[in-house]
Amino acid sequence: MSGEEVLIQVSKLNYVYPDGTVALRDIDMEIGTREFIAFIGQNGSGKTTLSKCLNGLFAPTSGSVIVEGLDTRSKGIIKKIVTKVGYVFQNPDHQLFNSSVWDEIAYGPRNIGVPENEVEERVREAATVAGIHEEIFQEHPFFLNKGLRQRVAIASILALRPRTIIVDEPTTGQDRKQSVEIMNFLKKLRDEEDHTIIIITHEMPIVVAYAERTVALCEGKILLDGPTREVFSQPNVLAKTFVQPRQITRLGQQLGDLDLPPDVLTVPEMCEIFGETLSR
Amino acid sequence: MLAVSVKNLSWKYEHATEFALKGANLDIEEGSFVAIVGPNEAGKTTLVSAIQGLIPHSFNGVIRGYVEVFGEKVAEKSSLELAQEVGLVFSDPEAQFTAMTVQEELVFGMENIGLTVEEIDERLHWAVEMADIADLLDKSPFDISGGQKQRVNIAAILAMRPPILILDEPTSMLDPLGKDFIFDVLTTLREQVAMTLIVVEHNIEQIAPLADQIALVYDGQVVKVAEPREFFADSGFLSERHVEPPEVTALAHWLREQRYYNGPLPLKMDEALSISRDLLKREVK
Repeated sequence: MSGEEVLIQVSKLNYVYPDGTVALRDIDMEIGTREFIAFIGQNGSGKTTLSKCLNGLFAPTSGSVIVEGLDTRSKGIIKKIVTKVGYVFQNPDHQLFNSSVWDEIAYGPRNIGVPENEVEERVREAATVAGIHEEIFQEHPFFLNKGLRQRVAIASILALRPRTIIVDEPTTGQDRKQSVEIMNFLKKLRDEEDHTIIIITHEMPIVVAYAERTVALCEGKILLDGPTREVFSQPNVLAKTFVQPRQITRLGQQLGDLDLPPDVLTVPEMCEIFGETLSR
Repeated sequence: MLAVSVKNLSWKYEHATEFALKGANLDIEEGSFVAIVGPNEAGKTTLVSAIQGLIPHSFNGVIRGYVEVFGEKVAEKSSLELAQEVGLVFSDPEAQFTAMTVQEELVFGMENIGLTVEEIDERLHWAVEMADIADLLDKSPFDISGGQKQRVNIAAILAMRPPILILDEPTSMLDPLGKDFIFDVLTTLREQVAMTLIVVEHNIEQIAPLADQIALVYDGQVVKVAEPREFFADSGFLSERHVEPPEVTALAHWLREQRYYNGPLPLKMDEALSISRDLLKREVK
């Protein structure tokens, strides 16, 4: 954990689905303020289940999740937890169901009993941060393009003013330009608004470019948890998650016998290493 | 012979304000593997829909220019004829299922076109092997993973033996393991089958080494078509259009600019490893 203050404390968390499937085993982790974390691993590795435990959608089968002092096992706690940890669904269409952008963003605050005059203030604030202009407040979310729908989904979470925001596969199905836009927006939320951001993703270039910390899950357990560069420098451990480091990282790892380091994350870093070696 | 020829094709969907395709041109040689890349909403899906004949047969809109498949205009062919000539696999693996088991799913299409039992058996066996799904035949198509579903979809279309197979972002909704399996199937098809393959794909790193030609669709036009190494040679042109070469290609590009290297651009890991070893060993001595 790199943040100054612990926001979420996970201790010996186990989660078993009603059908008996063990989804999480003995998870211990701390999440701090202003972190940017990536959860990686195959489908079924526990990433989404863990995220739903972090925001109280799922109560632990055993162990505990303490969110800013609140135990997610407590009765009737969910309306408080959602104001601490927001969860943005992978497909914004699973989340958006109101008939206007305004009602969509206002839904969360209204649901937790925020008075209507403050609801308006929160909607305007969330829309501004998410870059949603007033002209589309009365439009139906369904008719917006996917990037904009995702912003509306995020704004509806922001309106609950959680400090931690979990975004499930923010870039799936988006092209490169759209991915950069959405990721830069999440980075801004961390850099300028002091949120902690957790992304669940399969896209390693995104992890490397944005996440300072990476948590690799496999069969419900945490296999690796640390600075992104360290996590990707361990290809043999990572292989158990079926996640491959980026191509340029793998190139360095396969040239270890020629003294190339195993933790090169980007093409410019690799160019620099080749440049130094070749100009000698 | 040309399998596909797209000539000055423009298309506007009914109710749309703008043209989705604006004078696109593309020739595809029979038996070649063509990767189609480009940003979302650039017109890639519209282009392949026009090659398959969904446009103009199943959509309303305004068309200019034309598409030919094996020398005949798509607009003048029947939908049945087109279904037998051009197979299309979509990105959503759920979209195409109707049957109770994977085997029934595969047999259904073949029965529909009146094949004999022997012919169905032979094609089934072949398609199952190509898509590597022998262990799934008795399962329900709804009980298998997304990556497995997509392989079943590919097998179902393969069983129809279309001379042209189009896959429209076949991996975009799959996890990394599911994606890798699809690229394995594409590799098998490329090596063992004489089909013309057209694959719309965002994952340039995995598709580039398979492609004979890469076509970049941008703002309704095909703005570049070239053999992969040539395609990546102009990195400025590509990055302005949000296309990134494979990382090892980008590294070699830089090495060429710095005059450390003057050979061909690598497209995949083993090529990059041997170039790197040559360069670095020379220095280590």
